Amino acid sequence: MASRFAALTEAEVRASLGEIEKPTTDKILDHLDRSCLTFLAHSPFCCLSTSDSAGNCDCSPRGDYPGFVRALDDRTLVLPDRLGNRLADSFTNILDNGHVGLLCFVPGMIETLRINGSAYVTNDPSLMAMLEQDHVVPQLATVIEVEQAYLHCGRALLRSRLWDDEMHDLATEVPSAGTMWAEASGLDADVARAIDEASVAGYKTLY
Amino acid sequence: MARDRGMLRLVVTRMSRESAGIVSIELADATGRPLPAWEPGAHIDVQLITRMQRQYSLCGDPADLRSYRIAVLREDFSRGVSMYVHDFLHVGSVVHVRPPRNLFPVLPASEYLLLAAGIGITPLLPMARSLSRARAPWAMNYAVRDEANLPFASELESLGPAVTINAPGRAGRLDLAALLAAPHPGLGVYACGPARFIDGVVDAMGHWPSGSLHLERFEPKPVVALPNAPFTVHCARSNLDVEVPAERTMLQAITDVDLPVTGSCLRGVCGSCAVRVLDGEVEHRDSLTTDPDSRVMYPCVSRARAARLTIDV
Ligand code: FES
Repeated sequence: MASRFAALTEAEVRASLGEIEKPTTDKILDHLDRSCLTFLAHSPFCCLSTSDSAGNCDCSPRGDYPGFVRALDDRTLVLPDRLGNRLADSFTNILDNGHVGLLCFVPGMIETLRINGSAYVTNDPSLMAMLEQDHVVPQLATVIEVEQAYLHCGRALLRSRLWDDEMHDLATEVPSAGTMWAEASGLDADVARAIDEASVAGYKTLY
Repeated sequence: MARDRGMLRLVVTRMSRESAGIVSIELADATGRPLPAWEPGAHIDVQLITRMQRQYSLCGDPADLRSYRIAVLREDFSRGVSMYVHDFLHVGSVVHVRPPRNLFPVLPASEYLLLAAGIGITPLLPMARSLSRARAPWAMNYAVRDEANLPFASELESLGPAVTINAPGRAGRLDLAALLAAPHPGLGVYACGPARFIDGVVDAMGHWPSGSLHLERFEPKPVVALPNAPFTVHCARSNLDVEVPAERTMLQAITDVDLPVTGSCLRGVCGSCAVRVLDGEVEHRDSLTTDPDSRVMYPCVSRARAARLTIDV
Protein backbone atom coordinates (compact mmCIF):
# COMPACT_ATOMS: atom_id res chain seq x y z
CA MET A 1 0.00 0.00 0.00
CA ALA A 2 1.40 3.38 -0.96
CA SER A 3 1.56 5.54 2.13
CA ARG A 4 0.05 8.97 2.23
CA PHE A 5 3.06 10.41 4.03
CA ALA A 6 6.74 9.58 3.91
CA ALA A 7 7.21 6.22 5.63
CA LEU A 8 10.66 6.11 7.20
CA THR A 9 13.01 3.18 7.13
CA GLU A 10 14.29 1.63 10.35
CA ALA A 11 17.63 3.41 9.97
CA GLU A 12 15.87 6.74 9.61
CA VAL A 13 13.68 6.16 12.66
CA ARG A 14 16.69 5.11 14.73
CA ALA A 15 18.59 8.17 13.60
CA SER A 16 15.77 10.29 14.87
CA LEU A 17 15.36 8.51 18.23
CA GLY A 18 19.08 8.08 18.86
CA GLU A 19 20.62 4.93 20.32
CA ILE A 20 18.46 3.13 22.85
CA GLU A 21 20.01 4.01 26.18
CA LYS A 22 21.15 1.23 28.46
CA PRO A 23 18.72 1.76 31.39
CA THR A 24 15.71 1.45 29.07
CA THR A 25 16.55 -2.13 28.26
CA ASP A 26 17.99 -2.84 31.74
CA LYS A 27 14.75 -2.34 33.55
CA ILE A 28 12.99 -5.07 31.61
CA LEU A 29 12.50 -8.07 33.89
CA ASP A 30 11.80 -11.60 32.71
CA HIS A 31 9.50 -12.17 35.70
CA LEU A 32 7.31 -10.20 38.11
CA ASP A 33 9.20 -8.79 41.06
CA ARG A 34 7.60 -7.69 44.32
CA SER A 35 6.78 -4.22 42.92
CA CYS A 36 5.13 -5.65 39.81
CA LEU A 37 3.06 -8.00 41.97
CA THR A 38 2.01 -5.12 44.20
CA PHE A 39 1.13 -3.06 41.13
CA LEU A 40 -1.04 -5.88 39.74
CA ALA A 41 -2.77 -6.49 43.08
CA HIS A 42 -4.00 -2.88 42.96
CA SER A 43 -4.79 -2.64 39.26
CA PRO A 44 -8.47 -2.81 38.26
CA PHE A 45 -7.96 -2.21 34.55
CA CYS A 46 -5.74 -3.25 31.67
CA CYS A 47 -5.66 -3.40 27.90
CA LEU A 48 -4.91 -6.72 26.29
CA SER A 49 -3.23 -6.73 22.89
CA THR A 50 -3.27 -9.75 20.69
CA SER A 51 -2.70 -10.44 17.02
CA ASP A 52 -3.37 -13.30 14.67
CA SER A 53 -0.59 -15.11 12.87
CA ALA A 54 -0.90 -12.71 9.92
CA GLY A 55 -0.18 -9.80 12.25
CA ASN A 56 -3.68 -8.35 12.40
CA CYS A 57 -3.94 -6.70 15.82
CA ASP A 58 -6.59 -6.23 18.44
CA CYS A 59 -6.49 -4.35 21.68
CA SER A 60 -9.31 -4.74 24.17
CA PRO A 61 -10.07 -3.31 27.61
CA ARG A 62 -10.39 -5.60 30.64
CA GLY A 63 -11.50 -4.45 34.04
CA ASP A 64 -12.66 -5.85 37.36
CA TYR A 65 -11.83 -5.76 41.05
CA PRO A 66 -8.23 -4.66 41.61
CA GLY A 67 -6.00 -7.68 41.35
CA PHE A 68 -8.25 -9.40 38.83
CA VAL A 69 -5.18 -10.11 36.74
CA ARG A 70 -4.16 -12.79 39.20
CA ALA A 71 -0.52 -13.67 39.64
CA LEU A 72 -0.30 -17.39 40.34
CA ASP A 73 3.44 -17.03 40.77
CA ASP A 74 6.11 -14.63 39.55
CA ARG A 75 5.87 -15.88 35.96
CA THR A 76 2.23 -16.80 35.52
CA LEU A 77 -0.85 -14.61 35.26
CA VAL A 78 -4.45 -15.54 34.78
CA LEU A 79 -7.14 -13.31 33.35
CA PRO A 80 -10.78 -14.36 33.83
CA ASP A 81 -13.16 -13.98 30.92
CA ARG A 82 -16.05 -11.84 32.11
CA LEU A 83 -19.25 -10.70 30.47
CA GLY A 84 -18.82 -8.17 27.68
CA ASN A 85 -16.30 -10.01 25.61
CA ARG A 86 -18.51 -12.31 23.63
CA LEU A 87 -16.88 -11.31 20.35
CA ALA A 88 -13.90 -13.28 21.54
CA ASP A 89 -11.44 -11.55 19.19
CA SER A 90 -8.69 -12.03 21.72
CA PHE A 91 -9.37 -15.74 22.07
CA THR A 92 -9.35 -16.26 18.33
CA ASN A 93 -6.05 -14.44 18.10
CA ILE A 94 -4.48 -16.27 21.04
CA LEU A 95 -5.41 -19.61 19.53
CA ASP A 96 -3.66 -18.51 16.36
CA ASN A 97 -0.74 -16.68 17.94
CA GLY A 98 0.02 -16.85 21.65
CA HIS A 99 1.98 -13.59 21.89
CA VAL A 100 0.15 -11.00 23.99
CA GLY A 101 0.87 -7.63 25.51
CA LEU A 102 -0.79 -6.20 28.61
CA LEU A 103 -0.84 -2.58 29.69
CA CYS A 104 -2.01 -2.30 33.30
CA PHE A 105 -3.24 0.81 35.09
CA VAL A 106 -3.66 1.83 38.71
CA PRO A 107 -6.07 4.77 39.06
CA GLY A 108 -4.19 7.85 40.16
CA MET A 109 -0.83 6.45 39.16
CA ILE A 110 0.85 7.82 36.05
CA GLU A 111 3.24 4.95 35.41
CA THR A 112 1.80 1.87 33.77
CA LEU A 113 2.96 -1.72 33.95
CA ARG A 114 3.70 -3.43 30.65
CA ILE A 115 3.78 -7.18 30.51
CA ASN A 116 4.49 -9.27 27.43
CA GLY A 117 4.25 -12.99 27.24
CA SER A 118 2.66 -15.95 25.65
CA ALA A 119 -0.87 -16.99 26.39
CA TYR A 120 -3.24 -19.90 26.15
CA VAL A 121 -6.91 -20.39 26.96
CA THR A 122 -8.10 -22.80 29.62
CA ASN A 123 -11.20 -23.89 31.52
CA ASP A 124 -9.43 -25.80 34.30
CA PRO A 125 -12.15 -26.16 36.98
CA SER A 126 -9.94 -25.45 40.01
CA LEU A 127 -8.65 -22.31 38.35
CA MET A 128 -12.18 -21.21 37.38
CA ALA A 129 -13.32 -21.64 40.99
CA MET A 130 -10.58 -19.24 42.12
CA LEU A 131 -11.89 -16.65 39.69
CA GLU A 132 -15.48 -16.65 40.92
CA GLN A 133 -16.96 -13.21 41.32
CA ASP A 134 -20.46 -12.33 42.51
CA HIS A 135 -21.47 -16.00 42.21
CA VAL A 136 -20.37 -16.29 38.65
CA VAL A 137 -17.57 -18.64 37.73
CA PRO A 138 -16.05 -17.73 34.37
CA GLN A 139 -16.18 -20.35 31.66
CA LEU A 140 -12.78 -19.52 30.28
CA ALA A 141 -9.62 -17.83 31.37
CA THR A 142 -6.44 -16.72 29.66
CA VAL A 143 -3.20 -17.86 31.22
CA ILE A 144 -0.21 -15.67 30.43
CA GLU A 145 3.34 -16.87 30.84
CA VAL A 146 5.33 -13.76 31.51
CA GLU A 147 8.37 -13.07 29.33
CA GLN A 148 8.88 -9.35 29.91
CA ALA A 149 7.65 -6.97 32.58
CA TYR A 150 8.52 -3.34 33.08
CA LEU A 151 7.16 -0.09 34.35
CA HIS A 152 6.47 2.45 31.64
CA CYS A 153 7.28 6.06 32.46
CA GLY A 154 4.44 8.40 33.38
CA ARG A 155 4.80 11.14 30.77
CA ALA A 156 1.94 9.94 28.58
CA LEU A 157 -0.50 9.90 31.46
CA LEU A 158 0.89 13.11 32.85
CA ARG A 159 0.48 14.91 29.53
CA SER A 160 -2.99 13.44 29.04
CA ARG A 161 -4.05 14.40 32.60
CA LEU A 162 -5.96 11.15 32.49
CA TRP A 163 -6.75 11.01 36.22
CA ASP A 164 -7.73 14.68 36.68
CA ASP A 165 -11.34 15.10 37.76
CA GLU A 166 -12.07 17.99 35.40
CA MET A 167 -11.12 15.78 32.47
CA HIS A 168 -14.45 13.98 32.97
CA ASP A 169 -16.14 16.96 31.25
CA LEU A 170 -14.74 15.65 27.97
CA ALA A 171 -17.15 12.74 27.96
CA THR A 172 -20.14 15.09 27.75
CA GLU A 173 -18.99 16.17 24.28
CA VAL A 174 -18.81 12.67 22.84
CA PRO A 175 -21.95 11.06 21.38
CA SER A 176 -23.50 8.39 23.56
CA ALA A 177 -22.78 4.74 22.92
CA GLY A 178 -26.32 4.31 21.57
CA THR A 179 -25.79 7.13 19.08
CA MET A 180 -22.46 5.73 17.93
CA TRP A 181 -23.82 2.20 17.50
CA ALA A 182 -27.01 3.40 15.80
CA GLU A 183 -25.07 5.62 13.39
CA ALA A 184 -22.64 2.85 12.60
CA SER A 185 -25.60 0.67 11.65
CA GLY A 186 -27.44 3.45 9.78
CA LEU A 187 -30.26 3.67 12.35
CA ASP A 188 -31.98 6.78 13.68
CA ALA A 189 -32.03 8.69 16.96
CA ASP A 190 -34.98 6.75 18.40
CA VAL A 191 -33.02 3.56 18.10
CA ALA A 192 -30.02 5.31 19.66
CA ARG A 193 -32.13 6.32 22.65
CA ALA A 194 -33.50 2.81 22.98
CA ILE A 195 -29.99 1.36 22.91
CA ASP A 196 -28.85 3.83 25.58
CA GLU A 197 -31.77 2.94 27.82
CA ALA A 198 -31.23 -0.76 27.33
CA SER A 199 -27.55 -0.47 28.13
CA VAL A 200 -28.23 1.40 31.39
CA ALA A 201 -30.26 -1.65 32.42
CA GLY A 202 -27.82 -4.11 30.87
CA TYR A 203 -24.83 -2.57 32.64
CA LYS A 204 -26.32 -3.62 35.96
CA THR A 205 -25.32 -7.16 35.10
CA LEU A 206 -21.58 -7.09 35.43
CA TYR A 207 -20.83 -10.77 35.97
CA MET B 1 -19.24 -3.37 45.92
CA ALA B 2 -20.46 -0.01 47.11
CA ARG B 3 -19.27 1.20 50.44
CA ASP B 4 -22.31 1.77 52.58
CA ARG B 5 -22.61 4.65 54.94
CA GLY B 6 -22.58 2.52 58.07
CA MET B 7 -19.00 1.44 57.50
CA LEU B 8 -16.24 2.39 59.89
CA ARG B 9 -12.95 3.53 58.45
CA LEU B 10 -10.26 1.70 60.41
CA VAL B 11 -6.52 1.44 60.21
CA VAL B 12 -4.35 -1.65 60.64
CA THR B 13 -2.37 -1.01 63.82
CA ARG B 14 -0.62 -4.33 64.17
CA MET B 15 -0.07 -7.57 62.29
CA SER B 16 1.29 -10.68 63.99
CA ARG B 17 2.08 -14.06 62.61
CA GLU B 18 0.17 -16.64 64.63
CA SER B 19 1.25 -19.71 62.67
CA ALA B 20 2.71 -20.56 59.27
CA GLY B 21 -0.58 -19.80 57.53
CA ILE B 22 -2.35 -17.42 59.90
CA VAL B 23 -1.82 -13.73 60.60
CA SER B 24 -3.78 -11.75 63.14
CA ILE B 25 -4.62 -8.16 62.44
CA GLU B 26 -5.58 -5.38 64.81
CA LEU B 27 -7.81 -2.62 63.53
CA ALA B 28 -8.44 0.70 65.25
CA ASP B 29 -10.06 4.02 64.57
CA ALA B 30 -7.41 6.40 63.22
CA THR B 31 -8.44 9.10 65.70
CA GLY B 32 -8.49 6.68 68.63
CA ARG B 33 -12.26 6.76 69.07
CA PRO B 34 -13.62 3.65 70.82
CA LEU B 35 -15.21 1.06 68.53
CA PRO B 36 -18.76 -0.32 68.77
CA ALA B 37 -19.11 -2.98 71.47
CA TRP B 38 -19.43 -6.69 70.68
CA GLU B 39 -20.01 -10.04 72.34
CA PRO B 40 -18.08 -13.28 71.78
CA GLY B 41 -19.18 -14.96 68.55
CA ALA B 42 -19.53 -11.67 66.67
CA HIS B 43 -18.00 -11.04 63.27
CA ILE B 44 -17.26 -8.02 61.14
CA ASP B 45 -17.37 -7.48 57.39
CA VAL B 46 -14.02 -6.18 56.26
CA GLN B 47 -13.72 -4.38 52.96
CA LEU B 48 -10.22 -3.97 51.59
CA ILE B 49 -8.99 -1.09 49.48
CA THR B 50 -9.58 -3.40 46.51
CA ARG B 51 -13.33 -3.33 47.39
CA MET B 52 -13.24 -7.06 48.06
CA GLN B 53 -15.10 -7.94 51.21
CA ARG B 54 -14.99 -10.87 53.60
CA GLN B 55 -16.29 -11.69 57.05
CA TYR B 56 -14.03 -12.41 59.96
CA SER B 57 -14.85 -13.42 63.51
CA LEU B 58 -13.58 -11.08 66.17
CA CYS B 59 -10.96 -12.94 68.17
CA GLY B 60 -9.70 -10.23 70.52
CA ASP B 61 -10.95 -9.05 73.87
CA PRO B 62 -14.51 -7.64 73.92
CA ALA B 63 -13.52 -5.55 76.94
CA ASP B 64 -10.97 -3.65 74.86
CA LEU B 65 -12.80 -1.35 72.46
CA ARG B 66 -9.70 0.48 71.30
CA SER B 67 -9.20 -2.16 68.64
CA TYR B 68 -10.69 -5.21 66.95
CA ARG B 69 -8.61 -8.28 66.24
CA ILE B 70 -9.25 -10.71 63.41
CA ALA B 71 -7.17 -13.59 62.06
CA VAL B 72 -6.81 -14.62 58.44
CA LEU B 73 -5.72 -17.96 57.07
CA ARG B 74 -3.81 -17.82 53.80
CA GLU B 75 -5.65 -19.85 51.18
CA ASP B 76 -3.73 -19.96 47.93
CA PHE B 77 -6.46 -21.61 45.94
CA SER B 78 -9.22 -19.24 46.89
CA ARG B 79 -10.65 -16.07 45.48
CA GLY B 80 -7.66 -14.05 46.52
CA VAL B 81 -8.70 -11.99 49.55
CA SER B 82 -6.60 -13.94 52.05
CA MET B 83 -3.61 -13.65 49.72
CA TYR B 84 -4.06 -9.91 49.54
CA VAL B 85 -4.18 -9.74 53.34
CA HIS B 86 -1.05 -11.85 53.71
CA ASP B 87 0.97 -10.28 50.89
CA PHE B 88 -0.06 -6.65 50.77
CA LEU B 89 -1.89 -5.51 53.88
CA HIS B 90 0.40 -3.62 56.25
CA VAL B 91 0.35 -1.53 59.39
CA GLY B 92 -1.23 1.73 58.27
CA SER B 93 -3.48 0.17 55.60
CA VAL B 94 -7.01 1.51 55.65
CA VAL B 95 -9.94 -0.90 55.64
CA HIS B 96 -13.67 -0.35 55.92
CA VAL B 97 -15.57 -2.37 58.46
CA ARG B 98 -19.25 -2.89 59.05
CA PRO B 99 -19.97 -2.85 62.82
CA PRO B 100 -19.99 -6.25 64.55
CA ARG B 101 -22.97 -8.53 64.25
CA ASN B 102 -23.46 -11.69 66.20
CA LEU B 103 -25.03 -14.73 64.58
CA PHE B 104 -23.15 -17.07 66.90
CA PRO B 105 -23.99 -15.78 70.39
CA VAL B 106 -23.39 -17.75 73.56
CA LEU B 107 -26.73 -18.68 75.09
CA PRO B 108 -27.36 -19.62 78.72
CA ALA B 109 -26.49 -23.26 79.45
CA SER B 110 -25.37 -25.19 82.49
CA GLU B 111 -22.08 -26.17 80.84
CA TYR B 112 -20.22 -25.40 77.64
CA LEU B 113 -18.16 -27.38 75.17
CA LEU B 114 -16.24 -25.44 72.53
CA LEU B 115 -15.08 -27.37 69.48
CA ALA B 116 -12.71 -25.76 67.01
CA ALA B 117 -10.61 -26.84 64.09
CA GLY B 118 -7.99 -24.81 62.25
CA ILE B 119 -8.90 -21.16 61.75
CA GLY B 120 -12.27 -21.94 63.41
CA ILE B 121 -10.62 -21.10 66.72
CA THR B 122 -11.26 -17.38 66.13
CA PRO B 123 -14.84 -16.94 67.44
CA LEU B 124 -14.23 -19.49 70.22
CA LEU B 125 -11.22 -17.71 71.73
CA PRO B 126 -13.25 -14.79 73.11
CA MET B 127 -15.98 -17.24 74.17
CA ALA B 128 -13.45 -19.25 76.16
CA ARG B 129 -12.05 -16.12 77.75
CA SER B 130 -15.43 -14.80 78.82
CA LEU B 131 -16.65 -18.19 80.10
CA SER B 132 -13.51 -18.53 82.10
CA ARG B 133 -13.88 -14.99 83.52
CA ALA B 134 -17.51 -15.76 84.42
CA ARG B 135 -16.32 -18.99 86.07
CA ALA B 136 -18.79 -20.99 84.01
CA PRO B 137 -18.02 -24.70 83.57
CA TRP B 138 -16.49 -25.05 80.13
CA ALA B 139 -14.04 -27.10 78.11
CA MET B 140 -12.52 -26.74 74.68
CA ASN B 141 -11.16 -29.18 72.15
CA TYR B 142 -9.07 -27.63 69.43
CA ALA B 143 -8.08 -29.81 66.50
CA VAL B 144 -4.95 -28.77 64.63
CA ARG B 145 -2.93 -30.58 62.03
CA ASP B 146 0.46 -29.71 63.35
CA GLU B 147 1.18 -29.04 66.98
CA ALA B 148 4.38 -27.17 66.15
CA ASN B 149 2.25 -24.77 64.17
CA LEU B 150 -0.33 -23.93 66.82
CA PRO B 151 -1.88 -20.47 66.43
CA PHE B 152 -2.53 -18.41 69.55
CA ALA B 153 -0.40 -20.89 71.51
CA SER B 154 0.29 -18.66 74.50
CA GLU B 155 -3.29 -17.42 74.75
CA LEU B 156 -4.57 -21.00 74.70
CA GLU B 157 -1.98 -21.92 77.28
CA SER B 158 -3.14 -19.14 79.59
CA LEU B 159 -6.70 -20.47 79.47
CA GLY B 160 -5.50 -23.43 81.49
CA PRO B 161 -6.46 -27.10 81.63
CA ALA B 162 -9.96 -26.58 80.16
CA VAL B 163 -8.27 -26.49 76.76
CA THR B 164 -7.25 -29.71 75.05
CA ILE B 165 -5.17 -29.41 71.91
CA ASN B 166 -5.87 -32.34 69.65
CA ALA B 167 -2.98 -32.82 67.29
CA PRO B 168 -1.47 -36.01 65.99
CA GLY B 169 1.19 -36.36 68.66
CA ARG B 170 -0.25 -34.50 71.63
CA ALA B 171 -3.71 -35.58 72.85
CA GLY B 172 -4.09 -37.43 69.57
CA ARG B 173 -6.61 -36.84 66.86
CA LEU B 174 -9.97 -35.48 67.91
CA ASP B 175 -12.44 -38.38 67.90
CA LEU B 176 -15.75 -36.52 67.63
CA ALA B 177 -17.88 -39.67 67.68
CA ALA B 178 -16.33 -40.79 70.97
CA LEU B 179 -16.35 -37.31 72.53
CA LEU B 180 -20.01 -36.74 71.67
CA ALA B 181 -21.27 -40.33 72.07
CA ALA B 182 -23.36 -39.65 75.17
CA PRO B 183 -25.89 -36.80 74.89
CA HIS B 184 -25.48 -34.37 77.75
CA PRO B 185 -28.64 -32.32 78.35
CA GLY B 186 -27.88 -28.80 79.45
CA LEU B 187 -24.56 -28.73 77.64
CA GLY B 188 -24.21 -26.06 74.99
CA VAL B 189 -21.87 -27.14 72.17
CA TYR B 190 -20.29 -24.39 70.06
CA ALA B 191 -18.43 -25.51 66.95
CA CYS B 192 -16.49 -23.70 64.27
CA GLY B 193 -14.13 -24.92 61.60
CA PRO B 194 -13.87 -26.16 58.03
CA ALA B 195 -16.89 -27.83 56.41
CA ARG B 196 -15.63 -31.36 57.02
CA PHE B 197 -15.18 -30.73 60.73
CA ILE B 198 -18.62 -29.12 61.09
CA ASP B 199 -20.21 -32.02 59.22
CA GLY B 200 -18.45 -34.40 61.62
CA VAL B 201 -19.87 -32.55 64.64
CA VAL B 202 -23.37 -32.49 63.14
CA ASP B 203 -23.20 -36.22 62.42
CA ALA B 204 -21.91 -37.05 65.88
CA MET B 205 -24.68 -35.06 67.57
CA GLY B 206 -27.65 -36.43 65.64
CA HIS B 207 -29.07 -38.01 68.81
CA TRP B 208 -28.58 -34.98 71.08
CA PRO B 209 -31.48 -32.82 72.32
CA SER B 210 -32.29 -30.20 69.69
CA GLY B 211 -30.82 -26.80 70.42
CA SER B 212 -27.63 -28.27 71.92
CA LEU B 213 -25.47 -27.45 68.94
CA HIS B 214 -24.50 -23.96 67.76
CA LEU B 215 -22.42 -23.63 64.65
CA GLU B 216 -20.60 -21.14 62.59
CA ARG B 217 -19.72 -22.11 59.07
CA PHE B 218 -17.23 -20.38 56.82
CA GLU B 219 -18.20 -22.35 53.79
CA PRO B 220 -21.66 -23.09 52.51
CA LYS B 221 -22.88 -26.61 53.10
CA PRO B 222 -23.51 -28.47 49.88
CA VAL B 223 -27.14 -28.24 48.84
CA VAL B 224 -28.95 -30.04 46.09
CA ALA B 225 -30.83 -27.23 44.37
CA LEU B 226 -33.69 -27.37 41.92
CA PRO B 227 -32.87 -25.91 38.51
CA ASN B 228 -33.14 -22.10 38.55
CA ALA B 229 -36.49 -20.87 37.27
CA PRO B 230 -37.59 -17.25 36.84
CA PHE B 231 -40.11 -15.90 39.35
CA THR B 232 -41.66 -12.67 40.56
CA VAL B 233 -41.06 -11.22 44.02
CA HIS B 234 -43.70 -8.91 45.32
CA CYS B 235 -42.11 -6.50 47.77
CA ALA B 236 -45.09 -5.71 49.94
CA ARG B 237 -43.80 -2.73 51.88
CA SER B 238 -42.62 -0.87 48.78
CA ASN B 239 -45.46 -2.29 46.68
CA LEU B 240 -43.11 -3.30 43.90
CA ASP B 241 -42.99 -6.39 41.69
CA VAL B 242 -39.47 -7.49 40.87
CA GLU B 243 -38.72 -10.09 38.21
CA VAL B 244 -35.96 -12.55 39.06
CA PRO B 245 -34.58 -14.13 35.89
CA ALA B 246 -33.16 -17.64 36.07
CA GLU B 247 -29.58 -16.44 35.76
CA ARG B 248 -29.78 -13.78 38.52
CA THR B 249 -30.08 -14.24 42.24
CA MET B 250 -33.09 -12.81 44.01
CA LEU B 251 -30.74 -10.55 45.98
CA GLN B 252 -29.26 -9.16 42.76
CA ALA B 253 -32.73 -8.53 41.37
CA ILE B 254 -33.96 -6.68 44.44
CA THR B 255 -30.80 -4.64 44.86
CA ASP B 256 -30.92 -3.72 41.15
CA VAL B 257 -34.09 -1.77 41.90
CA ASP B 258 -32.40 -0.23 44.94
CA LEU B 259 -34.45 -1.93 47.64
CA PRO B 260 -32.75 -1.85 51.04
CA VAL B 261 -31.42 -5.39 51.40
CA THR B 262 -27.68 -5.83 51.79
CA GLY B 263 -25.77 -9.01 51.24
CA SER B 264 -22.35 -9.77 52.48
CA CYS B 265 -21.16 -13.37 52.03
CA LEU B 266 -23.44 -13.90 49.01
CA ARG B 267 -23.21 -17.62 49.73
CA GLY B 268 -25.93 -18.18 52.29
CA VAL B 269 -23.70 -18.45 55.34
CA CYS B 270 -23.71 -15.05 57.03
CA GLY B 271 -27.36 -14.12 57.37
CA SER B 272 -26.99 -10.45 56.43
CA CYS B 273 -29.45 -10.55 53.54
CA ALA B 274 -32.32 -12.09 55.56
CA VAL B 275 -35.83 -11.08 54.47
CA ARG B 276 -39.21 -12.04 55.92
CA VAL B 277 -41.49 -14.03 53.64
CA LEU B 278 -45.17 -13.09 53.77
CA ASP B 279 -46.53 -15.41 51.14
CA GLY B 280 -45.36 -18.15 48.81
CA GLU B 281 -43.09 -21.17 49.11
CA VAL B 282 -39.33 -20.86 49.49
CA GLU B 283 -36.61 -23.19 48.36
CA HIS B 284 -34.04 -22.63 51.10
CA ARG B 285 -30.56 -23.07 49.68
CA ASP B 286 -28.62 -21.40 52.48
CA SER B 287 -26.53 -22.96 55.24
CA LEU B 288 -28.40 -21.23 58.09
CA THR B 289 -31.96 -22.48 57.81
CA THR B 290 -32.74 -25.70 59.64
CA ASP B 291 -36.55 -25.65 59.35
CA PRO B 292 -37.63 -26.14 55.73
CA ASP B 293 -40.83 -24.18 56.47
CA SER B 294 -38.93 -21.19 57.84
CA ARG B 295 -40.45 -17.83 56.84
CA VAL B 296 -37.07 -16.13 56.86
CA MET B 297 -35.14 -16.48 53.64
CA TYR B 298 -31.67 -15.58 52.42
CA PRO B 299 -32.13 -14.25 48.87
CA CYS B 300 -28.42 -14.34 48.01
CA VAL B 301 -28.90 -18.05 47.32
CA SER B 302 -32.51 -19.05 48.02
CA ARG B 303 -35.32 -18.82 45.49
CA ALA B 304 -39.07 -19.19 45.17
CA ARG B 305 -40.54 -22.63 44.63
CA ALA B 306 -43.35 -21.25 42.50
CA ALA B 307 -43.91 -18.29 40.19
CA ARG B 308 -44.53 -15.77 42.94
CA LEU B 309 -43.27 -14.82 46.37
CA THR B 310 -44.22 -11.95 48.66
CA ILE B 311 -41.63 -10.50 51.01
CA ASP B 312 -41.71 -7.84 53.70
CA VAL B 313 -39.40 -5.32 52.02
S1 FES C 1 -25.44 -12.49 52.00
FE1 FES C 1 -24.79 -13.87 53.51
S2 FES C 1 -26.54 -15.07 53.76
FE2 FES C 1 -27.07 -13.85 52.11
